[in-house]
Amino acid sequence: MTLRVLTDTDRQSKLAIDQERLIAQLGSINKKFPGASSNALEDINVEVFQKDFLSIVGPSGCGKTSILKMMCGLVKPSSGTINWPTSNFQNSPENPANLSFVFQEPNLLPWMNVYENIKMPLKILEVDSYSADEKIYEIIKLVGLEGFERYYPKQLSGGMSMRVSIARALVTQPKVLLMDEPFSALDETRRFELSQEILKIKKEKGLTVVYVTHSIYESVYLSDRIYVMQSKPGRIYEEIDFSGIDKNEDYRFTPEFHEQAKVVSDSLNRAQHV
Amino acid sequence: MSKFQSPLIIIFMLVLWELLFHALNVKWYLLPPPTMIIESIYVNFFSLMTSLAITLKVTLTALAASVIISLCIAIIFYFSRIVERAMMPVTVILQVTPIIAIAPLISIWVDSSQMATLICAFLVAFFPLLANTIAGLKSTDINHLDLMKLYRANKYQLLRYVVLPNALPYFLSGLKISTGLALIGAIVGEFVIGPISGHSGLAYRIIEAGYQLEIPKMFASVVLISLTGILLFNTIRLISYFILRDWHSSYSKTD
Repeated sequence: MTLRVLTDTDRQSKLAIDQERLIAQLGSINKKFPGASSNALEDINVEVFQKDFLSIVGPSGCGKTSILKMMCGLVKPSSGTINWPTSNFQNSPENPANLSFVFQEPNLLPWMNVYENIKMPLKILEVDSYSADEKIYEIIKLVGLEGFERYYPKQLSGGMSMRVSIARALVTQPKVLLMDEPFSALDETRRFELSQEILKIKKEKGLTVVYVTHSIYESVYLSDRIYVMQSKPGRIYEEIDFSGIDKNEDYRFTPEFHEQAKVVSDSLNRAQHV
Repeated sequence: MSKFQSPLIIIFMLVLWELLFHALNVKWYLLPPPTMIIESIYVNFFSLMTSLAITLKVTLTALAASVIISLCIAIIFYFSRIVERAMMPVTVILQVTPIIAIAPLISIWVDSSQMATLICAFLVAFFPLLANTIAGLKSTDINHLDLMKLYRANKYQLLRYVVLPNALPYFLSGLKISTGLALIGAIVGEFVIGPISGHSGLAYRIIEAGYQLEIPKMFASVVLISLTGILLFNTIRLISYFILRDWHSSYSKTD
């Protein structure tokens, strides 16, 4: 089975079949930033399904990050709806433990060491210290930060800082992980290493990931579904489904991988010339 | 080598001063040589130290008051734009009006001369701390604020985990300036207001010595004031170093 570019009808039928797995739905969202003359985002419809790896791909400035920030309530839409239909996620924005956000920069607090940075969300959510410690050390092990607990952010490399950032996002045991170009500042090797680990953690924890990137290869390698965006104003141009494709270790070296990357690349090109 | 340079230069200048004093036959009541000043400190040690203690007490109390009050006001200003807009001009007026011009008024309004001197020192020391702390609070990274918003942090958590630590380096550099100013304020206040509750601080020792033409004692008092200032400044510097060295980029490790 290969990838499919979904038509509107496809999307409707998929939605009908997968209604059970739907955990977030953004409906006809428009966003106009104060002082701007035109809409930044127009008619955005996004569905997030449970345990999906969903990527949003588009050129810089098309509003990918804003979509992500709307999902967790950091940005308010000008119009449209954001629903979290499943009972698990009822009132999700009011239950911050369900959602975590990994920023483009590691965004660590420089005055706290690695351990304190990871602990910070638990302190805000007022988790008691004993069970907090248990969670923190489990996560530190999971992302490979053992021995770095007492380091301060300024002593860490870019890759290490990003690991801390991911650990901090995971420590609250979220169900959905929102990631905003998390590896864009890293070199190729680190990128691949960390994306592998994200896939591993996703599988282990049964996470749903929404991933924003401008890297085509990264999105093809990681995703079950990709939304391709056009810019000015930001709109969803096309949805591409990868869910039927078997992705083993060497997937990124196969000819199919490059063919699929080309499909996404072509779609992006068409999106910029509508 | 560079570590010893500045003490060496100071010693060299003192020796030069001493030599020139003898070579040019300067009158001791115009400019006493270093040895005479040191001798005067030695002879008047007890009275000078008592005065120093009084001045130091006013300085440190004023400094503590400005730390507490400027922190409280800065936090209020941070959370309320309206209060900040309304009150900031008042604090600026207090800052730009020369303390020497208000000191006589304060001495009329306040009975206790100790309290009056304290207010003078406080008024001078207060503003740099406030201005720096506000700048620090406002410079909080927008992504850090987003992070707090994400976990629905309340105002206390916001201050405790992000906003206050972020303002700390700014606050400490304000504190460096304010420490020197508190000392100056205490001295100026005493000059205008007079002895503090009947006991002379260092400022009044200068005036007394001037009346009695004990020029070396005047110099001795001035030297003690400068030394105190240097000591206070370096104490704050040391405290800043220990607080910030782990995480702040201004203290990067060279290894």
